[in-house]
Amino acid sequence: MNNSLKGSVPTDREVILGILNNSEDILNKLYKAYYAMVLQFILNNNGDEDDAKDVYQEGIIILYNKIKTGNFELSSKLKTYIYSVCRRIWLKKLSLNSKKTGSITDYEDVFAVEEDVENHEEKDASFMKMQSALNHLGEPCKTIIQDFYIHNLSMQDICEKFGYTNADNAKTQKYKCLQRLKKIFFQP
Amino acid sequence: MELDAIIEDYLLGKLNAQEMEAFEKLRLSDATVDHKVVSHKFFLASMDTFAEQLRLKEQLNHIHSEIDVEGLAATLRPHPSRVVQLWRKHKSAIAVAASFVVLSLVSIYSIQHSTQQAERYRQLSNRVNNAIKTQNSLIRNIKHSSATADKPNSQNSFGGTGFAISTNGYILTNLHIINGADSLYVQNSKGESFKVKSVYTDPQNDIAILKISDKHFSNLSSIPYTIKRNTSNIGEIVYTLGYPKDDAVLGEGYVSSKNGFVGDTTQYQVAISVNPGNSGGPVLDNNGNLVGIISGKPDQTEGAAFAIKSKYILEAMRAIPQDSLGTNKLSANKKSLLSGLKRTKQIEKIQDYVFMIKAY
Repeated sequence: MNNSLKGSVPTDREVILGILNNSEDILNKLYKAYYAMVLQFILNNNGDEDDAKDVYQEGIIILYNKIKTGNFELSSKLKTYIYSVCRRIWLKKLSLNSKKTGSITDYEDVFAVEEDVENHEEKDASFMKMQSALNHLGEPCKTIIQDFYIHNLSMQDICEKFGYTNADNAKTQKYKCLQRLKKIFFQP
Repeated sequence: MELDAIIEDYLLGKLNAQEMEAFEKLRLSDATVDHKVVSHKFFLASMDTFAEQLRLKEQLNHIHSEIDVEGLAATLRPHPSRVVQLWRKHKSAIAVAASFVVLSLVSIYSIQHSTQQAERYRQLSNRVNNAIKTQNSLIRNIKHSSATADKPNSQNSFGGTGFAISTNGYILTNLHIINGADSLYVQNSKGESFKVKSVYTDPQNDIAILKISDKHFSNLSSIPYTIKRNTSNIGEIVYTLGYPKDDAVLGEGYVSSKNGFVGDTTQYQVAISVNPGNSGGPVLDNNGNLVGIISGKPDQTEGAAFAIKSKYILEAMRAIPQDSLGTNKLSANKKSLLSGLKRTKQIEKIQDYVFMIKAY
């Protein structure tokens, strides 16, 4: 396992091109390539496996989004970038939980990624807002909305799935749900 | 309700051209409708990013599930032992330190090794020195094709050069020429041979003094050259006359070093090509002062010879009874008769005083 993880480290260029081309394989390789590094960092700095997972996924998402915006300039190795981002995220979490941050055990070089992490936090806030809005929505609205907007099901599919007599009924239901969701979402 | 549906269809581009036109008119005329369009647009965008992030997270979760987190965590978790923890923390530093240690060990080893080599080299060069120490004594190995009646019946004899240090037949030469010889003869430039006997030897300086004991020998006229008291400087032009063959041969050069073989202070090194037979030949400077005696040459160096310094000639002469040398002996006080003469004239004058030594 360990060996296969290290054996298939994609080059930085491969990663960037792969993400721009929505390659799942590259994402897979990228994820597996540097997970151990972040896991080690978190485990040795007052975290557990779940913390590592959260932090690492956040780091990967930051990298992913940055590459997707198309203006990603590689000023260091991807490895260093991921490590720096994850480290920054973890430090923030530690200080939020007022755990000790005095001595951080580092395993890699670090460079400044504050800006990227903060940008991500804004995005994440909007993400969380949508998530909580959906959670407040309750069933069956939540599923209808998710199916339509996230899983891109057609109204016909939704109609069948939920046993509506016709598509119009489903449509009406969806708009009701949407109305409520928007209300929750736009609540200050 | 209807409006929302239309707005969404409008934003998703599902309306046909006619409906589109109608809706855009409505949007322009009614600010509330326009506001709804804008907010729904923003909402849809938020929903899009949300959906995208959600899909990405799902993807990551899926990948994550493929990783053996437990196993990895077990190896990466802070190790109970401090040693392992230290090792992990300072892996790179330790690696650097280790390579430094290895490097220094290697260099120490190689230094030791090379000093050993140097020592061996020194020994080697010593051996070379020894080899040179058996410097070619410039003795000529004369091969007689036929033994003549008036010469001793010996197949081999050694030859060298010597020069007169007094008018009454005292001749100075190298000890190594005459060492172990049964009988000694000298031959002058005219080809006359006289029997000589050794009267003094100085093994340390390789000097021997011979005395012509032949009754045919008539005294020479006064010695044209004098002994140079001071040591010569490097670069001083010197020449020697010797008998590497049956006729006298002139060799000219300069003093190339104030010390002789391996720093031997009793000798000069001179840049004169010499051959076997030149041994014992006088080395003279331009003014006809005796600078030294050719005594050998280094094995490895071409065109160089060693000459015993002239002051040892004086020492040797002092060792024999002064009366026997007569009044017209070689001295350091007189002015050389050769001074100011051309080289050819000088040779002409000294050639009667330079003898071929034959040792049988």
